[in-house]
Amino acid sequence: MNLLSPILLSLRVAALATLVTLLVGLGLARLLGLRRVPLRRLWEAVIMLPLVFPPTLTGYLLLVILGKRGPIGALLASLGLTVVFTWIAAVIASFVVSLPLMFQNCKAALLSVDPQYENAARTLGLSEGRVFRRITLPLAAPGILAGTALSFARAMGEFGATLMVAGNIPGRTQTMPLALYAAVEGGRSVEANILLAVTVGLCFALVAVVSIYERRGYRVRDSGRPEGELPRNGRPRTGRPWNGRIRNGGGRP
Amino acid sequence: MILVNFEKELPRFTLKAAIMLEKPMTAILWGESGAGKTTVLDCIAGLAEPDRGEVLLEGVTVFSSSRGVNLPPRERGVGFVFQSYALFPHLTAEENVALAMPRERRGSAAGYLERLRIAHLRKTKPPLLSGGERQRLALARALAIHPRLLLLDEPFSALDWRTREETHREFLAMRDELAMSVILVTHDRAEADLLGHRIYELRDGEVLE
Repeated sequence: MNLLSPILLSLRVAALATLVTLLVGLGLARLLGLRRVPLRRLWEAVIMLPLVFPPTLTGYLLLVILGKRGPIGALLASLGLTVVFTWIAAVIASFVVSLPLMFQNCKAALLSVDPQYENAARTLGLSEGRVFRRITLPLAAPGILAGTALSFARAMGEFGATLMVAGNIPGRTQTMPLALYAAVEGGRSVEANILLAVTVGLCFALVAVVSIYERRGYRVRDSGRPEGELPRNGRPRTGRPWNGRIRNGGGRP
Repeated sequence: MILVNFEKELPRFTLKAAIMLEKPMTAILWGESGAGKTTVLDCIAGLAEPDRGEVLLEGVTVFSSSRGVNLPPRERGVGFVFQSYALFPHLTAEENVALAMPRERRGSAAGYLERLRIAHLRKTKPPLLSGGERQRLALARALAIHPRLLLLDEPFSALDWRTREETHREFLAMRDELAMSVILVTHDRAEADLLGHRIYELRDGEVLE
């Protein structure tokens, strides 16, 4: 059995799903978290539903919607397109189940930015769009990144919804979790162990990335100067108050 | 000319602000903490909305309840030095200043840093600056937009006494050099007497000259 195929398929599905989730989740968090939108709580509840639904139920709902007789499936069929039981269906399943995680993290990250920074930027003449791009987004980046890593992990591990809507077709829609299940069920323990090792390795890498960025985020938010730390220009700082003289010739423009 | 005349209902009292600067000068808004000093500044800058009244800055009506005018902060041309300075921690000192400038003027950001004598720190990010340096940077950033009016919210309160004395002296020199309309908020009466041409007291929600 080819083990590379499910691993590569899972990476491809998870990467594409995460990209879409990031764009949609961040956009929704911005829209619903910061503006007065009618029925805001209802929209939020709908986004959060896949988190509490059994994944097989989410998968079944997707199958109903995307199937040939479903509202979207019929439309696609009239264009000669089929989504169910293709790897695109796996991407859609992963997107739907990881969107709540991304949305929640993005919303919390955007709200965690001190509004004073945004207000300062407004008084400096920045438009709302530039305030978001130049101030809010960079300051919220660590939280958004954590949400992205979580969503990627959720997409990599997606099983129930994927099985329902994409099936378990080796070489075409059999992702890593499905291949693992098939290997265990078929008594192929060597294959199962290899897949286990690969998964553990990927998870460690993800956790490492998140923790590195969370540390960076802490450094950015910390308003106090760490003891004994050198400034960026590399000169040690003394505790003396400024003595009225320019220290290094002023660095003229 | 600067004319501020408005009322705003606050949870505990009604804030009535009346400030007029007929020529460029430094007005001090003095009062105890919780008197609503920062709210007055927020209303002038457009970060809060008064219930009634008007705010005129150098001939421009930026707020008028009777005429339905309420310009957003970015169109008011008010330089604001926040109490916590609100320097963008992810940008260098120079980027903090340049952010406010149109593309073609960005090169002059370093000039403002030099004027406040922090040019040597232009590549440093605010979390690595001392209290005094942060205050200078916040002032440089506020001046870079060529404001009609400069608002300073307790700009010296975060500094140790020695740095404060020094920056008081510098402020006085700069005040006369800039010849700009300034409203400075403080709770320190001695500071108010030292720095202002005119002192307004904020007591029980009312501004008294």
